[in-house]
Amino acid sequence: MIRVKGLCKEFATFDNGSGGVLALSDIDFEVRDNEFVTVIGPSGCGKTTLLRIIAGLIPYHQGEVSIDSRPVVGPGPERAVVFQSFALLPWADVLGNVTFGLDVRGEAKSESQARAKELIKLVGLEGFEKRLPKELSGGMQQRVGLARALAVNPRILLMDEPFGALDEQTRRLLQEQLLQLWERERKTVIFITHSMEEAVMLGDRVMLMTPRPGRVKEMIDVPLKRPRPRDVEKSPAFVEIKEYLWENLRAMQTAQP
Amino acid sequence: MRGIVDGTAVEGKINSFARDWGLRLAVFVAAVGLWEFFLSRAQNFLLPTFPHIASALFHLVFLEPRFWEALYISNQALVLGYAGSVLVGIPLGLIAGRLRWMDRILNPYFGVLLVMPVAPLIPIVIIALGLGLVARVSIVVLFAVVFITINTRAGVRGVEPALIEMAKSFGASEGQIWRRIIVPGALPAIFAGLRIGLGRAITGMVMVELILVASGLGRLLLEFSGRMQSDLVFATVLAVIVEALTLLAAMQALERKIAPWAPDISIR
Repeated sequence: MIRVKGLCKEFATFDNGSGGVLALSDIDFEVRDNEFVTVIGPSGCGKTTLLRIIAGLIPYHQGEVSIDSRPVVGPGPERAVVFQSFALLPWADVLGNVTFGLDVRGEAKSESQARAKELIKLVGLEGFEKRLPKELSGGMQQRVGLARALAVNPRILLMDEPFGALDEQTRRLLQEQLLQLWERERKTVIFITHSMEEAVMLGDRVMLMTPRPGRVKEMIDVPLKRPRPRDVEKSPAFVEIKEYLWENLRAMQTAQP
Repeated sequence: MRGIVDGTAVEGKINSFARDWGLRLAVFVAAVGLWEFFLSRAQNFLLPTFPHIASALFHLVFLEPRFWEALYISNQALVLGYAGSVLVGIPLGLIAGRLRWMDRILNPYFGVLLVMPVAPLIPIVIIALGLGLVARVSIVVLFAVVFITINTRAGVRGVEPALIEMAKSFGASEGQIWRRIIVPGALPAIFAGLRIGLGRAITGMVMVELILVASGLGRLLLEFSGRMQSDLVFATVLAVIVEALTLLAAMQALERKIAPWAPDISIR
């Protein structure tokens, strides 16, 4: 279980002495095991910062961030990140990229490669093991990123707008695929998105954040049944939650000076 | 034409090879033709015709032992100087690229060496270090090192920060980040620096001999030009150019082996 309490994060600015920028203010929430939480908020609300703090990539000095009651002080084997820009090594092929996390941990080569091949098959890239990232489409590259994250068998998946750089059709396909994968093995997921449809479609709960300094405005339950049916977007409950999100987001952004 | 695994694909490769070299030969012939044409109009007895240059080159390479002696002497300075530049330049560039504070300290020195013409420094170095190999090696280093350093630094800086963050997210240590992300990421730029540095080192090697030291190839050049033997002057310069091109081509082949993902930024 992920627990965040009273988290504040300030960034120092580059100009002299005018103080810092408060990115996050008093963040309070919990994510239960095996829960899929989507995070949405206006641009600049600090959602990426929050994710990176939970990933252990940036430090925090005020508040509490803990996983199973152990405070987060850096990256750890139980968490893996999927990046919006894919972050694939351009000089390694698909197999080399997927085994990256395992290689860093010092796993035996034959085992990492076997595991990587399994996952490459799982994300539908069988036969592409020797290809370089530049030979792949955006959607395929992100599937490599996903396979890489899953390869280290994390309990928690942290996804920073993973489909944001993709066209809508690819996005929808990957959403479906992600849900299928998640149904097989329900990891704890924190998924940042800009899209209200995506937030409601994927999440068990949606965390709505305020503009900077980011706060948790509300945690909204998504009581749609799992697995999500193909036409879930037409269901009245879906539309209602989506509209609710948009009303709030719109109000937050038009209220800004 | 991907699926065809037979003569057709190979044929395509041979054709493009032949075409490339055919074109290069054509340009060469055209250049020589222009040269001869220009000479026939000009009233300049000092400019050698192409056949003269060719025979002078033949004479140098096959009949003049002093040429090979001079080549050996000059290349001593080149090899030692270039090796020194690489051994100093790459680590400095790596550190400057990764550590901000180190970079701030070194930056002004890089800047000075970059924009300053090194040729005027040659007499100073000679005064300090004498006329021997040490002085020549130092000049070569001065010519080459800063370019290797700056390109290495740029390569390190140019590594996508997202990749470093990704590596950290998987728990990579600083050493692993260096080995798996920074060095491979910087390799194309490092090679660019090595190539530019090589060109600079060769320039430095010849220049110091021309200006002061009068040994090796520089000495030969001075002797030939002193005796108005312009065909031999041209031939010697040609020989240096051929050596430079050969070394650069070797380096390119090495780069293609080590860093095949690098874009082809060849400056030939």
